[in-house]
Amino acid sequence: MQRTTHRPRLLTRPGVVALAAAVALTAGACAKSEDDASKDTQSPAAAGAEQKVVTPKPGSKTCAIDAYGAEKLDLKNATVGFSQSEKEANPFRIAETRSIRDEAKKRGVKLLTANAQSQFSKQISDVQDLLAKGADLLVIAPLNSDGWDPVLQAAAAKKVPIVTIDRKINATACKDYVSFIASDFVEQGRRAADQMIEATGGKGEVAILLGSAGNNVTTERTKGFKERIAEKAPELKVVFEQTGDFAREKGQQVTEQLIQSKPGIKGIYAENDEMGLGAVAALKGAGKKAGDVKIVTVDGTRNAVQGIVDGWISGVIESNPRFGPLAFQTLETFTKGEEVPQDVIIQDSAYAADNAKSEISKAY
Amino acid sequence: MAPPAEVLAVRGLSKSFPGVRALDDVDLTLHAGEVHALIGENGAGKSTLIKLLTGVYRPDAGEITFQGSKVSFATPLEAQKAGISTIYQEVNLIPLLSVARNLFLGREPRNRFGVLDIARMNREAEKTLRGYGVRVDVRRPLRTLGVGAQQMVALARAVATDARIVIMDEPTSSLEPREVETLFSVIRRLRDAGIAVVYVSHRLDELYAVCGTVTVLRDGRRVHHGSLADLDRLALVSTMLGRDLGEVREEGLTKFTGDHEATDTQPVLDARELTVPHKLHEVSLSIRPGEVVGLGGLLGSGRTETAKAISGALPVRSGRVTVAGVPLRGGSAPAAIRAGVSLLPEDRKSEGIVPGLSVRENIALAVLPRLSRFGLVSEARVDSVVDTFIKRLRIKASSPHQKVGELSGGNQQKVLLARWLAMNPKVLLLDEPTRGIDVGAKAEVQKLVDELAADGLGVLLISSDLEELIEGSDRVVVLKDGAVVGELTGDDVTEDKLMRTIAGDAQVEHLAKEVATDG
Amino acid sequence: MAEATLRTVPLDKARVLQWLQTYGVYAGVAALLVVNTVITPHFLSAENFRTQAVQVAPVIIVALGMALVIGTEGVDLSVGAVMALAASVTALYLGYGLLPALLVVALFAAAVGLANGALVALVGVQPIVATLALMVGGRGLALVLLPQLEDLRNPSLASLGSGDVLGIPYLILIAAVLAVLVAFVVRRTTFGRQLLAIGDSRPAAQLAGLPVRRVLIIVYVVCALLAAVAGVLATARLQASDPTSLGNLMELSAITAVVVGGTPLTGGRVNIAGTVAGAVLIQLLTATLIKHDLPPSWTQIAQAIVIVAAVYAARGRGKR
Repeated sequence: MQRTTHRPRLLTRPGVVALAAAVALTAGACAKSEDDASKDTQSPAAAGAEQKVVTPKPGSKTCAIDAYGAEKLDLKNATVGFSQSEKEANPFRIAETRSIRDEAKKRGVKLLTANAQSQFSKQISDVQDLLAKGADLLVIAPLNSDGWDPVLQAAAAKKVPIVTIDRKINATACKDYVSFIASDFVEQGRRAADQMIEATGGKGEVAILLGSAGNNVTTERTKGFKERIAEKAPELKVVFEQTGDFAREKGQQVTEQLIQSKPGIKGIYAENDEMGLGAVAALKGAGKKAGDVKIVTVDGTRNAVQGIVDGWISGVIESNPRFGPLAFQTLETFTKGEEVPQDVIIQDSAYAADNAKSEISKAY
Repeated sequence: MAPPAEVLAVRGLSKSFPGVRALDDVDLTLHAGEVHALIGENGAGKSTLIKLLTGVYRPDAGEITFQGSKVSFATPLEAQKAGISTIYQEVNLIPLLSVARNLFLGREPRNRFGVLDIARMNREAEKTLRGYGVRVDVRRPLRTLGVGAQQMVALARAVATDARIVIMDEPTSSLEPREVETLFSVIRRLRDAGIAVVYVSHRLDELYAVCGTVTVLRDGRRVHHGSLADLDRLALVSTMLGRDLGEVREEGLTKFTGDHEATDTQPVLDARELTVPHKLHEVSLSIRPGEVVGLGGLLGSGRTETAKAISGALPVRSGRVTVAGVPLRGGSAPAAIRAGVSLLPEDRKSEGIVPGLSVRENIALAVLPRLSRFGLVSEARVDSVVDTFIKRLRIKASSPHQKVGELSGGNQQKVLLARWLAMNPKVLLLDEPTRGIDVGAKAEVQKLVDELAADGLGVLLISSDLEELIEGSDRVVVLKDGAVVGELTGDDVTEDKLMRTIAGDAQVEHLAKEVATDG
Repeated sequence: MAEATLRTVPLDKARVLQWLQTYGVYAGVAALLVVNTVITPHFLSAENFRTQAVQVAPVIIVALGMALVIGTEGVDLSVGAVMALAASVTALYLGYGLLPALLVVALFAAAVGLANGALVALVGVQPIVATLALMVGGRGLALVLLPQLEDLRNPSLASLGSGDVLGIPYLILIAAVLAVLVAFVVRRTTFGRQLLAIGDSRPAAQLAGLPVRRVLIIVYVVCALLAAVAGVLATARLQASDPTSLGNLMELSAITAVVVGGTPLTGGRVNIAGTVAGAVLIQLLTATLIKHDLPPSWTQIAQAIVIVAAVYAARGRGKR
């Protein structure tokens, strides 16, 4: 169930180069902050990322319109359907949907949206509705990875290209869908480990507040974190792994249990910001002071970055939800008839004590 | 012409349940093309017999010969497969499946690939049902049909499964008159096709309309069998109720004293023209203080429904009830209780006692708000009320805190009486107050009813026990098929008159008298 | 008597089951306390007990209402949604002060309870279906009112969540007072007895002239109000309103606490002390597994085992 993760890479074909360039441009502030972050949080993350680049296998990584079997069209005159998986009730989903909407507006593309409210059956019917309403292109943030066959068949019948964002679907790229655009969650885990190693000095016991069980984000963020710890700081021991279900209250409750049974804990890696903030609440409630226990989280919400400024959180790895520019750029390139990568991996930035204050405005 | 073949022969069938001999050495013979009435009052053993025939129960003794060979069905399904089908009061089909699917359940036509041939099934279903007077879209779910039509489907299904015997348990209880006619014509067709029908009903008109032979059960025994035509209605009723015609009985078999003096001419309860669809038709009766009015009639004649309609437990379509001159809001049990009407329900176990609560809580249940202040229960006042009634009614329980569900039937009944007496009611509606309780407790309850009437209560007494009804009541209002068919007063309160009225003779006599006076 | 001696063996089994159903939950709590004292480091400390009590307090409060509903042979699936709704409404009205906000929360909760009660008592919808509608709709409304988590910085709310009297946190005090109050209502009031009678035999209660509809409606309103109290307290403790995840699966925790505590799902009996102990049992079980860093799925399995054991013990005393 492990998918090979790819870093963006330079490719020789002109279309892909064009896309890569466009991504760099449209990603704008993000790209910049990524650069800064790589510099600021020092090289381990960046170095690790470069080492992980997989040599592209020819033919398996790009997708062109002829191979996919769709027809060329001009994005400006097209209707794009966007299917969001979860209710826009957390910062990530809010920012993600807003980014898609903003980009559609900016480009003057007609956008149809639907929200599955975390019900997979609704998402399937949502997408079928979007197709019925005349969507020429689809952007899908999938709730599940499996069970997409009916939708894919319906889309194929209408020759509608699909781009999935933030989660992958289990299907054949460039046949069932065009591209998958996402952060590299394993890499996020690795970079969180780097921050943790730095904050704790690479020694002592740390805990992980896991995300929801059975979620690829949870497994991958855990995998990256543990791998990097094992590799770089063997004296840092993960002694506690309990789920906080990505929720603040659960993060608080689990942390309360943790600090009583393991008073010597030095660090807590929370796989999202909310659980991290719950951990902060638990530490405050137990009379700890800021910095007593080092906390590293993933997501990059404003509250968490503020936590760094306040001294309670040591580092936040961003998981960039602003998929709009990249998704539309991919669709534009593809519908023009040029090739696009099958896996588009985003460069995420990071926040730490030195850049939190200055860059908090970029947090979502 | 040779006599029709014997389809079923039951010899010496017996079945006991703990404490009851439900069926005792019963014989029954059915011939092809025979429509056989099976009758008896509640507890006579009809349903036990049916359940033995259809494999629900196993007999303790006796044998069943079906189409020449001895059988012993382990399950109802086995009986059904062998050719004995039962149509229950409640249709036992699958409401959400289509009519056609129900009709063909378990024997669906399949095409040569083994796949359900729906088109053929629907076609055949439509054709079959037309023969039963049911013209509906067979693709509709069964539950969208009326009860009558559903019953026809069940019947058609029974016949289609090559039934040799069809048992119908009160099939007309929820049918409209027009549907009853259809049912009868179907029964006659079954008869002509050589199928034996066992017909259970309390409606005499129906029995005489379709049945040729009859078996009468009483207290688990067969007390009569033979041709129905040889038995007139009065004889049928008296056989069923176990009373010989014209037999003069000495009084004093019950604890009832018989007469009470109505202390007031103004009725304490007056019910006018109560009508409940399918159940009651313009039933009127009145009770004066200190009077015990009996409600007579066969099972299913509307006695229980009358009591429930008066007490607000059964919504009426029309009619009104006044208590001591004050009209009651219909369909509200609390309103009736506030006005002073108390109902001791027939189904003591499921509608009377609250089995998990203690004797004390059960007695105090209705009167609790009166023993409370600001919603807080005064335990002392509850104790005093409970003690009073436990003593007065001689309720035998290990302690007031014993669960009512653990008491004997008689004591449960006394607890219920105590619950109502604590409310100081004006009218007591007693539905089978002594059924299923032992002799001693029965006598006590009867005596108590007398005392209560003597104290000025108005009492409505429903009882299947004729002695109890006759000796306990000052007047008897007789119901038949949900309507009042007569009233016995004074010297006319006799078993003989009661049975004649139930059988319908009284009406005839009455009419004859009227005609005579007119002429 | 002769019969009794003949049936010694099954009687003994029934007696064991009965004992288990009545006292099993206390035995379980005691066993967990003893085991943890031995195997869990830092377990026997005031801070730890305080943590466990504070964490379990909202569950207890919700379970109290649930016990009343279950006593009427019903169930209320909407309690988690009511908690979320309470969180949203608190966030929206906190600007007017804590008390006004609490008042509006109570109004919203009462409305949900009324809707539940009306569906069950007047329309005759099965409780599980009626409250399922509000379980979905209530959380939906909560998210419409407040689409995302919001941090709350209100000193009164903060002190409600983390303050104490004589070292006892408000949360624990409130849960204890409510438990005593609900137990009193069940045992000593007309309402409590009518509730039990309705739960044991609705037809009998109806024929006995009890105000069946009124009692049922009040029960669902009370249950919703208690859930709202729990929602406000959890929000106060978190100092954030989180309508997305607050109260998720709370209905299951509450039902578990009630059933494990010896209140039969068939109605007619309510065991408040057992319900409190049931909630504590689940809390200690979860805490034990977390403290020993056992896989989270084990918690669910352990809870399932406790429920099955409770239901098995209840089997012997169910309705016949």
